Amino acid sequence: MTAIIVISALVVVLALCAFFGGSRSKYVVKRILLMFLTLFVIMTICFILIKLLPLPLVKSINKDVELQKAKYAQRGYYKPIMVQYFNFWKNVITEWNWGMGEQLYTDRAVWPVMMQKLPYTILVNLYSILIAIPIGLAFGIYAALKKNKWQDNVISTTVMIFTSVPSYVYAFLVQLFLCVKLRWFDLTIKSLDETPLFSWQMFVSMIPAVISLGFGVTARLTRYTRAELSEVLTGDYMLLARTKGLTKAQAISRHAMRNSMVVILPMIIGEFIGIIGGSLIIERIFGIPGLGNVFVDAISVKDYNFFMAETFFYTVIGLASGILTDISYGFIDPRIRMGSRK
Amino acid sequence: MKKILALALALCMIAGLVSAAAETYAPFNAGSITTAPKAAGGGEVDTVRYAGDETRDYRDEKEYTYHDYIAATTTMDWNPHTWETSDDSSVLDMMTMGFYGITLNADKSGYAITCEMAAELPVDVTAEYVGRFGVEEGETAKAWRIALNQDATWENGEKITADDYIYSMQQQLNPKMKNRRADSYYAGDLIIVNAKNYLYAGETAYSLVEDTAENLVAAGTDVYLDMNFWGIAGAPDADGNAAPTYVNINDETLYRDEAVEEGNDEDWVSAKYIFDNYLAEGAPYNAYQASYLYTAAIAPETAWEDVGLLKIDDYTIDLVLEKAMEEPAFYMPYHLSSNWLVYKPMYEELKVFTAADGTEVATEEEAASVTSKYMKDVETSISYGPYKITYFELDKQISYERNPEWYGYRDDKHYGMYQTDKVTVSVISQHETQMKSFEVGDLDGVALQSADMATYASSPYIYYTPQSYTTKVSFNTDLEKLREHGTGSEILTIKEFREAFALCIDREHFATAYTSAGTAGFGMLNYQYVYNPFTGEAYRDSEGAKNALVNLYGLTYGEGGEYADLDEAYDAMTGYDLELAREKMAVAAEKAVAEGVWDGESELTIDFRVYQNDTIYVQMFTYFDDQLKAACEGTPLEGKVSLTMTVDADYYNTMYSGAADVIFTTWGGAAMSPFTMLNQCYTDDAMGGGNQMEYGFHTEEVMMTINVDGKDVTDNLQNWTNWVGGATDAALVGKLEEQIGKFNDYDYATKCAFLAACEYCFLNYYTTTPVYYRNVAALHSQRVEFATYQYVMNVGFGGYAFNTYTMDDAEWADFIAAGNLQY
Repeated sequence: MTAIIVISALVVVLALCAFFGGSRSKYVVKRILLMFLTLFVIMTICFILIKLLPLPLVKSINKDVELQKAKYAQRGYYKPIMVQYFNFWKNVITEWNWGMGEQLYTDRAVWPVMMQKLPYTILVNLYSILIAIPIGLAFGIYAALKKNKWQDNVISTTVMIFTSVPSYVYAFLVQLFLCVKLRWFDLTIKSLDETPLFSWQMFVSMIPAVISLGFGVTARLTRYTRAELSEVLTGDYMLLARTKGLTKAQAISRHAMRNSMVVILPMIIGEFIGIIGGSLIIERIFGIPGLGNVFVDAISVKDYNFFMAETFFYTVIGLASGILTDISYGFIDPRIRMGSRK
Repeated sequence: MKKILALALALCMIAGLVSAAAETYAPFNAGSITTAPKAAGGGEVDTVRYAGDETRDYRDEKEYTYHDYIAATTTMDWNPHTWETSDDSSVLDMMTMGFYGITLNADKSGYAITCEMAAELPVDVTAEYVGRFGVEEGETAKAWRIALNQDATWENGEKITADDYIYSMQQQLNPKMKNRRADSYYAGDLIIVNAKNYLYAGETAYSLVEDTAENLVAAGTDVYLDMNFWGIAGAPDADGNAAPTYVNINDETLYRDEAVEEGNDEDWVSAKYIFDNYLAEGAPYNAYQASYLYTAAIAPETAWEDVGLLKIDDYTIDLVLEKAMEEPAFYMPYHLSSNWLVYKPMYEELKVFTAADGTEVATEEEAASVTSKYMKDVETSISYGPYKITYFELDKQISYERNPEWYGYRDDKHYGMYQTDKVTVSVISQHETQMKSFEVGDLDGVALQSADMATYASSPYIYYTPQSYTTKVSFNTDLEKLREHGTGSEILTIKEFREAFALCIDREHFATAYTSAGTAGFGMLNYQYVYNPFTGEAYRDSEGAKNALVNLYGLTYGEGGEYADLDEAYDAMTGYDLELAREKMAVAAEKAVAEGVWDGESELTIDFRVYQNDTIYVQMFTYFDDQLKAACEGTPLEGKVSLTMTVDADYYNTMYSGAADVIFTTWGGAAMSPFTMLNQCYTDDAMGGGNQMEYGFHTEEVMMTINVDGKDVTDNLQNWTNWVGGATDAALVGKLEEQIGKFNDYDYATKCAFLAACEYCFLNYYTTTPVYYRNVAALHSQRVEFATYQYVMNVGFGGYAFNTYTMDDAEWADFIAAGNLQY
């Protein structure tokens, strides 16, 4: 597993270097190396801090606490922290072994549990974003074009409402109307016993969750697009484009949209990254067995192994998203130079 | 002159502080008890079960699926050797059977004991073991023969024989596995000879000291300090070696205490230093020697042949116990109502061998630790019970269907039971989704919360399940700790203040307004605690238990009393008297000033820790705050006292460390063992690693006198509760056994009276005040019928075995589609 990950990472780096070439590839490699350093530092700090907490011992009538301590001792949890730290990296690097769940998913291997739950989180969020992006962009563009007219006012007011109200409120309303009153959908998503993950039935059962998640994303995208596009539309170069003889549609699609995307695209990338994090409350409401609650649970029950694996996972995602976002700037607008000292 | 005055004043202050810090408890007189010896044999158990509804033959062609839910599978583990939670045991209940079943009796008024994996009730064969396994001549109830059910098979049809039981117990006690449930066979009442030695073979086992450390050391015994006392187990020494959990009290190796900044006092401490300065005779925590000091013994290398589980023939096993089973007619089947069976081929195949550094190794011999992935999902599970698992998806769903190989479907003893063909358990953590799922017919039952009661309280489908848990408010009464908080909460050390708090709570109102189905709680043990296992009689209904509460709340009965008799007084009890609360509060104010814990002017803030700040918690907190302020009205404390709510998910541990002022506490469980509850949960001081939540309440300093058969017997509350809990060691019970014999030699009424005296004594100091007894309100679907709607201890309403249906799945779907659902 470790080898696969290392090879994949190398392939990605090489691909990026080949794609960008020259100074950009140097920049990318530098950022990736820095990412590993940052990851190492974060993991080290987290490991030491979590290991400083006392091991949880369950107190109960007629329970032998020594038995639990003996189990911990067998697993090396009472060894000096640096010894544990060395063993931790050794097992991760040589076997991709993140240990067993102790308080959470007891005696189940940590990484497979996470990977079992990840597809649900990705899928629900991906569907919601894929639906939200065109709608959000469309409303944003339309509102910008109709700026300060009644259409813009209606869209902007609606956006404000959907941005301010938390997603779980929509979730309950969606559940009430679509699932209970109209009975169009199940209250919770289907299990894999009923239908495969990548199936129409599963997609349909995810629709209430997708809609609930999508409201917020749509509203945010609409707001950003409207704001950016409105500003761009008033730029001198838009006037120049029109005087060159471009139609309004051509000027908007070729110049205005491209410029406004410098802000909007990183935001969309950010939303994609958010996919991995999942949405704790939406997953709870619609019975989605995703990753949303695992990190919080790991901390609250002090499950060291899940905590470390989740920390690693989210740190890598977060750092990688930073690099991706930075790279995307240059991709959208070649004038933005990466890694330049000037 | 000034100097002399200043010195005198300082001395007075010091004296005041010392007297306040070292809280002394007024001796408590619990009244008199006339004893009676226990009847020989204990009693007889009912063995005739309810026959079920014979019109509901499970062999009909219709299909009945019960749709259930659980909140999460995050901790789920249904390996019989490692399971932990009630959700885990609910899976095991479907797929496994105990040797004996506890089920509805013939007229559904109580429980009956039936044979399941055993063919007959256990037979006492102690006489056959005299001279072996520590059994002595004349002893009884130590060795038991169990004839196995020869019809029992695994899901794959393989017969279950004595060899399976022997292998399974070997694995349960496997020293390299250290299975969580291994202690079921040595830490409770069912103690198999040498089970613990086999588990810990060759390892050092530590036991709490039974004498003072000074005496033990003088006698040449090594004494060890549990380094958790100082929170430095695992802390590094100068060479980076971690401190072991137990270190000899003469060991001067210094360990770095990370909680103290380097360079400050006690940044490096040794076991010797901690012992000499804190636990030795005359040191401030000397009373905790028995909680933190250990003697060590190396568990002898024990061969399996020396463990008290023996195969007699293919279908007979013997269990030899270290301690004779009390009231064996009930308690032997009761303790054997679960099982340790595992399927050898699968169990072996699923073992994971791990070295000490966490890497996997190939064999058990090389491994430091062994884990089995047994019973983690469908492929690794095998049933020998009425249902088998057909689908499991983490945090999503568990499904079962009939296990056609289960003996119960062939033996004609279970006819009319198990109408349910399939069970689907969905994971639904959000209560609103649970409710909606039930309302649209996706679930066959749902637990209600207090907010649901307005809608469903009068539903014909509502039912209430009592629980053994009592929720209380527990106070920190340690002056030093409270002073450290710096909010003026030292007033909690004044007994009258706590009493006023207790009196200002209208428990009926509280239970109705803020809980879904709770009822007003007055005692530490509620109505679920059964003191007579043969009759199912509840402790709370005993005369002694009623008297304790009536006396506590100051009600009088009989000639010259307010009420005609005890029952009338008990029924009238509310525990709520605002006027009396104000009187107590006025006294508390006076005492607080006199004892120097309040200056008569400052505002006092008491920190109330709660688990979360959802609406209900906020409402509960607000109620307490309002009532406390109401109790202060007209007293010098009026407008001076308030509660602040702090959300603290770890509030139990916060209280264990003395950092909280007040918390909600809830204890329950072990409903068949009321006599062990007080010493295990209420007087086993948290400072000693026990479970007591009332920080600073030193039960070993509370002296209680009971007039037993005309003779005054006095000892501390800790010893009394130990004695009532069945302890016999002089270190635990003082001279009680010498004076009044063994607790277990008394009849049930006498036992109840002693337990009630202890409960009364504990409550009398108001370091905790019960608020409500927990119950769960739930709805069942319109098509499900229970065997009984009268809750029966140990069997509830009958369970899946006796659930019947008025509609099959197809009819139910039509019924829902037609819009007939109405709750």
